[in-house]
Amino acid sequence: MNQWIKVAFRNIIKNKRRSFVTLMAIAMGFTAINLFSGYTHNTYEGLRASAIRGSGIGHLTIYKKGWNKFGKSDPDKYMIDKNQIKKIVNIIEENDSVILATPRLDISGIVSNGRNSTIFMAQGVVPSDDKTILGAFFAAQPVTGETLNDKKEYGVQMATDLAEYLALKPKDDAVVMAATLDGQLNALDIQVSGVYNTGIDAINDKFIKVPFKFAQSLYDSDKADRIVILLDNWKNTLIVQHQIMKQLKDAGIECEIKTWEELSVFYSNVKNMFDMIFLFIFTIVLVIVIMSTVNTMGMSVIERTREIGTLRALGLKRRGINFLFAIEGAMIGFLGSVVGAIFHISIWLIIFVASPTYTPPGNSSPVPLHVDLLPGNILFMLLCMIFLALIAAIFPARRAANQNVVDALGHV
Amino acid sequence: MHLIEMKNITKNYYLGETIVHALKGIDLIIKKEEFTAIWGPSGSGKTTLLNLIGTIDEPSSGDLFFNEEKINNIADNDKSEFRNNEIGFIFQTFNLIPVLSALENVMLPLQIKGTPTSKAKKEAFKRLCDVELEQFVNNRPDKMSGGQRQRVAIARALITNPSIVLADEPTANLDFKTSNSIIEIMKKINKRDKTTFVFSTHDQRLLDQMNRLIQLDDGKITE
Repeated sequence: MNQWIKVAFRNIIKNKRRSFVTLMAIAMGFTAINLFSGYTHNTYEGLRASAIRGSGIGHLTIYKKGWNKFGKSDPDKYMIDKNQIKKIVNIIEENDSVILATPRLDISGIVSNGRNSTIFMAQGVVPSDDKTILGAFFAAQPVTGETLNDKKEYGVQMATDLAEYLALKPKDDAVVMAATLDGQLNALDIQVSGVYNTGIDAINDKFIKVPFKFAQSLYDSDKADRIVILLDNWKNTLIVQHQIMKQLKDAGIECEIKTWEELSVFYSNVKNMFDMIFLFIFTIVLVIVIMSTVNTMGMSVIERTREIGTLRALGLKRRGINFLFAIEGAMIGFLGSVVGAIFHISIWLIIFVASPTYTPPGNSSPVPLHVDLLPGNILFMLLCMIFLALIAAIFPARRAANQNVVDALGHV
Repeated sequence: MHLIEMKNITKNYYLGETIVHALKGIDLIIKKEEFTAIWGPSGSGKTTLLNLIGTIDEPSSGDLFFNEEKINNIADNDKSEFRNNEIGFIFQTFNLIPVLSALENVMLPLQIKGTPTSKAKKEAFKRLCDVELEQFVNNRPDKMSGGQRQRVAIARALITNPSIVLADEPTANLDFKTSNSIIEIMKKINKRDKTTFVFSTHDQRLLDQMNRLIQLDDGKITE
């Protein structure tokens, strides 16, 4: 065994230039795949956190049954009333994985500064619960002025572009108008407590965050359109969804529970896109690795035809020849991956130290480029490359093993 | 007892649509301990005959016996084991593995057999001493002269204590002095270890040392 490993290794060293090119092809492929998977891993984590906490959708959202289908045409019928809110929150908070359950009410209408008016969409949140859900994002969303406050019912947080359009700044007053659930026009005074960047271009010119009670007042209702649940770990989402669904059903409450993944279309779309790009890159690398190894091993078989004949004459069986070239292929895969791992860690370090930023599409501010270092992925790719190179070596190895011994010995 | 027996062996090659009759009904017996040369002009079938004895080629017809056992139709794996155990090959162009040292080259047949490395190393060193190459055990073939390489090949051929050593033009690429020393070594081993040697050659210096000469002409024995 050791002898064949020695032969394989020395043949790799002997053909320095050719082996170098193949090793580099494998190393570059290895680096590209690991860098991209490190980047997507970080992006998925960021998008997940951004969806769950940043945009405040939590891990699970409970709607009254039928809300998603008929809620827009008959909202009053499909909203959750005061007693049900209390009952549902009590049931949910019994679950150990639940950090909090909070009611929400989304509203929309017209906002005016007295001279100019424009449409707005607003999220009615319980300010203290919203702060808990935001978590680290609370500090990452700097607000000029003050944030929402449980005690200041008419104080709102306005998105920057909307505030700019209406020439409003913190402590300025304005008026919001909307139709109540009964269809009556209602208007309420607001005070801009704070101005902030939502981080999303598309809603920066129309978004307001208001206290839940204020939203209820504007719609003249004591209901909520949903209850948002925050869990201790996103991995528990499906389990808790199932548990809560059962608990609520047992309590006679008909509802629909959506996960953060179902509600965050952006996350799903970006993930699907990155997964597709990853598959594309992986396929290219796979083809490069296989073609390079087949080419290298093919050349090696041709150059070593006489050697193959000699080994067969000395009594090495066909499977021995297969094994010899398979070891060489696997060794090329291993060495290429080791070089690739060194490249990967070096580039990761450079990115970590330099901390470059970029502005992703749809974002209104630059974000830092982060690439995660994933030892599990590196190990998996190492095994993958060894396996690929081994498979690629089998084709020329089989050709070598099946050669006629006399023809091989006579090869010039 | 006959070591090798060939009965009515023929070998045909196809060159495009032309059939070349390399061997035409060979009947041959080689006994143990013989020091024999098959000689004849180029293209007479010497190498083909040696290849058939060495089971690296198949006869077109006829039977080949080794120790009275028919071996020309055994499976490829069995042939490999047979070659490894019973036959030593010495080639005109030495055919050493370039990435291995002299010692590692000589160890190869034992390692193919599955002998532990330490034992194979000891045996290989002993064989290299037999061919007076103890100073060159760690040299690779490209750092050795033609004569030294051929002596490594002889050591490799003898390492498994084969029943027969087949040497195809072993002195063709060597000068007069080196050829003589190579022949002397093989003769010494033939006498000492009773190893059977069969050469294919047209080198008169080698023919003069033989116990038996088998002349081949146009695929037929004219002994």
